[in-house]
Amino acid sequence: MDVQKYGVTYWSVVAVVALLVASPVLSRMLVWPRTEFFTELWILGADGRAENYPFNISRGSEYRIRLGIGNHLGYCAYYLVEVKFRNETQSRPDSFGPVENRSPSSLEPLLNITAFVADEGFWEFPLKFYFDYDVDAEKTQVTVQSLTLNDIVLSLDGHAAWSSTRSMFLGNMMFELWIYDSASRFFSYHGRFVDLKLNMTVV
Amino acid sequence: MLVLVGSAAVCLGTGEVEARSAVGEAEQRVNACYMAAAEAQKARANVTDLLLVLDDAGMLLCKAHLALEKGDFDSAYALAVESRAKLDGFDVEANALRDSASQARSMDFAVNVVGSGVGSVMVVVVAFVVWRLSKKEYPAPEGGV
Repeated sequence: MDVQKYGVTYWSVVAVVALLVASPVLSRMLVWPRTEFFTELWILGADGRAENYPFNISRGSEYRIRLGIGNHLGYCAYYLVEVKFRNETQSRPDSFGPVENRSPSSLEPLLNITAFVADEGFWEFPLKFYFDYDVDAEKTQVTVQSLTLNDIVLSLDGHAAWSSTRSMFLGNMMFELWIYDSASRFFSYHGRFVDLKLNMTVV
Repeated sequence: MLVLVGSAAVCLGTGEVEARSAVGEAEQRVNACYMAAAEAQKARANVTDLLLVLDDAGMLLCKAHLALEKGDFDSAYALAVESRAKLDGFDVEANALRDSASQARSMDFAVNVVGSGVGSVMVVVVAFVVWRLSKKEYPAPEGGV
């Protein structure tokens, strides 16, 4: 067979076959490098959706949420979630500015939750909680005694009593994200938090 | 005498020093196992099962810290010991996963990358040889007829 008669077709077929054979090499070489490295942090409602978050809560009633972390840092990460609780007058974490410059709340954590998440992996943790609190006779002040989180009783004695604002007794349950630095062997604040605003209803 | 001292220790419960030491050791163990898992994942090993074990050990450690803060040294000690026990053999498994993932990558590199690179060059070379042979066998006619 005189392949020279079909020169263009012949070399086109050769090029296609060569590219097919070289595709494993090309798939490794022609990969766009990752440029964005970040962590996701979220809370979902009891049914795993971004809705039906608890807001109006009653003393002793149990509420459920799901806390989640997504790791896109390029390596397996060791996270620590600090659970904190504040009223409107107490310290809150920064919400604005570069993530790496943000500061956490100065409040002591009530509980730490560890999470080990593979690169491009996700972690979700179900949480159930209820509050024990008292209201004074005039219904002008709420004192929160404890938070029970996944059957762990966390004393809130010593936290500031709540005062009525906007006809609500508002509380804020925060989940701050910290990350383990293998070089320094310490945890550092990862610039992210999520929180639940809660209206502690009184009857 | 030793039996009496041991019994006395049991009756008195775990002291703060022992509890803090146990929690500290558990923390170091968790950190070391995390590093081993991170190394394994760097080598592209599937570390899902390892991370589940680490999650369990980490939760026990958190509870141990909490018990320590509350002054419940017996619970803190027990939880710290349980956390360490969860991680028995962890680094051996992590290192084995890392090594087998590295070997798999080397094989993959040899077969897929080198093999396909050489293969595509061979395709072009063979095509060129066939082209040249064809040229010799069917030389271009003279005079254009």
